Amino acid sequence: MRFVGPLLAVVVVCFDIPVLFMLSYSLSGTQGLTLANYGAVFSSPVFLKVIANTLRISLIATAVSAVLGYALAYWISGLQGWARNLALTAVVLPFWVSILVRTYAWIVVLGNGGLVNRLLQWSGISTEAVQFLYTDFGVIVGMANISIPLFVLPLYAAMIRIDRRYMQAAASLGASNSVIFWKVFFPISVPAFLSSILLVFILCLGFYVTPAVLGGGRVPMVANMLDTYINRIPRWGTASAVSTVLLVVTLALFAGYRRANARLGG
Amino acid sequence: MDRRTFSKFAFVTTLMAGAGHAPAASAQVRQIRMIEAGGKSGDSVEDGYIKPFTKKTGIKVVRESPNEFGKLRALVEGGRTDVVLFEMGAASLEQAKSLNLVEKLDWSKIAAMPIFPEAKDDFGMGYQFYSTLMAWRKGVKAPASWKDFYDAKAFPGKRSLPDDPVFVLPTVLLAAGVPMKDLYPLDVDRAFRQLDAVKKDVSVWWKAGAQPPQLLRDNEVQYAMAYSGRVTGQEGIEYTFNQANLDLSFFCVVKGSSTADVDAAYKLLYEMSVPANQAMAAEVISYTGNSPDLEALLPPAKLGQFPTASANKTVQFFNDAAWWFKNGDDVQKRWQEFILSL
Repeated sequence: MRFVGPLLAVVVVCFDIPVLFMLSYSLSGTQGLTLANYGAVFSSPVFLKVIANTLRISLIATAVSAVLGYALAYWISGLQGWARNLALTAVVLPFWVSILVRTYAWIVVLGNGGLVNRLLQWSGISTEAVQFLYTDFGVIVGMANISIPLFVLPLYAAMIRIDRRYMQAAASLGASNSVIFWKVFFPISVPAFLSSILLVFILCLGFYVTPAVLGGGRVPMVANMLDTYINRIPRWGTASAVSTVLLVVTLALFAGYRRANARLGG
Repeated sequence: MDRRTFSKFAFVTTLMAGAGHAPAASAQVRQIRMIEAGGKSGDSVEDGYIKPFTKKTGIKVVRESPNEFGKLRALVEGGRTDVVLFEMGAASLEQAKSLNLVEKLDWSKIAAMPIFPEAKDDFGMGYQFYSTLMAWRKGVKAPASWKDFYDAKAFPGKRSLPDDPVFVLPTVLLAAGVPMKDLYPLDVDRAFRQLDAVKKDVSVWWKAGAQPPQLLRDNEVQYAMAYSGRVTGQEGIEYTFNQANLDLSFFCVVKGSSTADVDAAYKLLYEMSVPANQAMAAEVISYTGNSPDLEALLPPAKLGQFPTASANKTVQFFNDAAWWFKNGDDVQKRWQEFILSL
């Protein structure tokens, strides 16, 4: 317990005070307290469009990595011995590679002269280079690539703790494999799955590098817009107002998650 | 420091400003700090100007990059006065003046050697000319003007443009037939209409100067607008200075710097006006200094690569920094809307 005080102080000084500071920036103008920054955000379609676009891209990327991550975690939890360790290592390994490097690697894979396009042309599926990069698709692939391990690890940890006797009991009562999965296994894994979804989704909302590199400036997301308004223009009041709106949206999502979780628990 | 930590840092330093953090006045300056553009441009500052300066004065110079404008604002509002020199473009200089972020220079103390008049501003010394020009992949049909550059029918291929209206808008107007001398005041409505017609051919809107040469080399795009120093002398990339945008980078003194730091900075600014030093800097990157006497010192074989070589300087245009200062906010907002409509 004696660590709580100092830790609390660190959290307050390093995280909470800057957030309060951001709020005060968003409310201050040349003539003191003002709502002008929020007025600018809500009256111009640009900001809301970027926020909507960010939510849309994050949602798709989260969905893609949720499906793949869940399947991967399920498969790994069924492996034994060295195979399981090997698979886990393969999932964890990218964590040691910088996000920037992993993002640029996709250019080599998905570019006009990249691996995928050369394969498509060699096999005759396509005669022209397919534009994967600098589109929503490229950004979503890059984001999913980074977030899949964030699904696999917590899900794997939750799955190996599920008591296998439940499944054996269901099988002994004559349930088919798919019934066992959907009626027994999946519901037990849902709380871990939901919290991973929330974690990844919130993380995706703040992605900066991936849309900047793989979006080619054509896939605007909030972090990139904030960069413009903080570093280039610089209108910090507007940037703070946009950040605050995003924060409120995220908190609302979190509240929704808490309610859903409480209902599941109850 | 990445962008995210930086913005956090900016908030915290601004917070500390209230604590009354006064700089210790010291008569003997051992080192000064500057924030500059980084990359090869930063190396050219090191080799051309910092080395002779340190040799003469014994004062070390610590370089930081990149030089995003928000950083200057964070420095001044945060009361951090250890950085004395800050590099910025002409339009940013106007903005810095109006936000009161830079100190007036005492040109009599700098005692600079003869320099081009546009490099001598009350609040900054223009030290480096650079161009934003059209470049293309070797082997594709070569454009001679912006009209050709934007004509995807006659010059097939993908384009890459900077995600910045300051560079893009003038060029689409030139393509539409506006003469260089009549560009300003910029017809913004017409420029955006022109852009709507060509945007489908642009596959990347770049943010960093290193992107266009890489995109050309990888064959991701065939035509690109690029900074001259990034594409001149590069294997497989061709370019022309015709109708390019000639620009000047300034070094300014950060508001609130100590007198001792400012005196040292003036000595460094003097070194930036010496033609021999500028020739050294031009060896590192093909940008040119502010001396009218520099051209004679440049290697004749490479003269075509330099923005201010007489043959190049006359076919280019300057942006109107005062116009951009007045209209920049509105245009940036429209630009954001345009980028979102892609």
